[in-house]
Amino acid sequence: MPVRRLRWYPRTLFPFQVKASPMNESFKRGAREGLQLMLPMSVGLLPWAIVTGVAMRSTGLSAVESLGMNLIVYAGTAQLGTLPLIAAGAPLWLIFVTALVLNLRFVIFSAALAPAFHGQSWSKRLLSGYLLVDGLFVLCADRLLRSDDPHWRWGFYVAPALLCWSMWQLGGLVGVLGAGVFPKDWSLEFMTTIALMVMLVPMVKQRAMLVAALVGGLGAVLLRGVPLRLGVIAGIALGIAAGFIAERWSEKRRQAW
Amino acid sequence: MVEGAWLWLTLFAIGSTTILTRGSFVLGGEGARLPPALQRALRYAPAAALSALIMPDLLLDAGAFDPANPKLVAGIVVALAAVRSRNPWLPFFAGMGVLLVLRKGLGW
Repeated sequence: MPVRRLRWYPRTLFPFQVKASPMNESFKRGAREGLQLMLPMSVGLLPWAIVTGVAMRSTGLSAVESLGMNLIVYAGTAQLGTLPLIAAGAPLWLIFVTALVLNLRFVIFSAALAPAFHGQSWSKRLLSGYLLVDGLFVLCADRLLRSDDPHWRWGFYVAPALLCWSMWQLGGLVGVLGAGVFPKDWSLEFMTTIALMVMLVPMVKQRAMLVAALVGGLGAVLLRGVPLRLGVIAGIALGIAAGFIAERWSEKRRQAW
Repeated sequence: MVEGAWLWLTLFAIGSTTILTRGSFVLGGEGARLPPALQRALRYAPAAALSALIMPDLLLDAGAFDPANPKLVAGIVVALAAVRSRNPWLPFFAGMGVLLVLRKGLGW
């Protein structure tokens, strides 16, 4: 007779555990493999999380508000990108649209990963959505989509996803608590711009991406006088269009050769 | 500065974009597909948006176009550090270092 292990935690707190059975084994195997794969990259999240924590505090958010933002938003780019707008007292809709644009890449990830969550409950899908960060997609998508064992897939996704989440919250806490060490007049809010630049630089190594960035940035600068602060959004729209056109154009040239 | 209850509302609004985008297809069912042209255009959204937030900070001073300012110099140093080095901390130390020397050291 199989021995049933006692559960020391209430089921409502951790609803994903299943009784000892083959599917539990394959969940554990997936979780172990996922954690091994993610460990190096999740440590790389720490500097980001710390910088974001410092940036939130130096924008003027309280410690509680900063930690709240880390929990509610859990998206570094959208957090850093909306901080200048929060500091400037921008209208809610502009902050919302900017965050939406900064997060739009996740629609592509979500579309690509959706088959891996086939048959999962709605609550697990909701949690999966909240936890879907860039590094997770880059590292896990391929193997996730090739496996036909739903329990292995769930372990392979949720374990590294929670590892990333923990690292982000931990680094954020360090940054939020450490930010008070620096004097107020040290222009620490510039850390936000630096962080955004460090994200942008590897993207623009591709020609069309560089065009999108230049047009988007200069557009936002030149259109800053447009009413309702539409300049930022208009700049972004111009940048996307310019990148798309540049890609088409270079393709045509390649075909003509 | 957005403050108080309004700030919390703002944080939830920003957070809703996380769920809306990441959850879109995962929650909406795998039958739906993104049109390929839209998918390609969306790839440019992050670069355009990041730059639209960075450039005004580097090129404007109190709302007026002013390329000769310490933040642009620091920004160029950050870009060089990010291109040249794989150390994730270097752009932050180099950028903040240059900005602090220019502003507090030289009074620019």
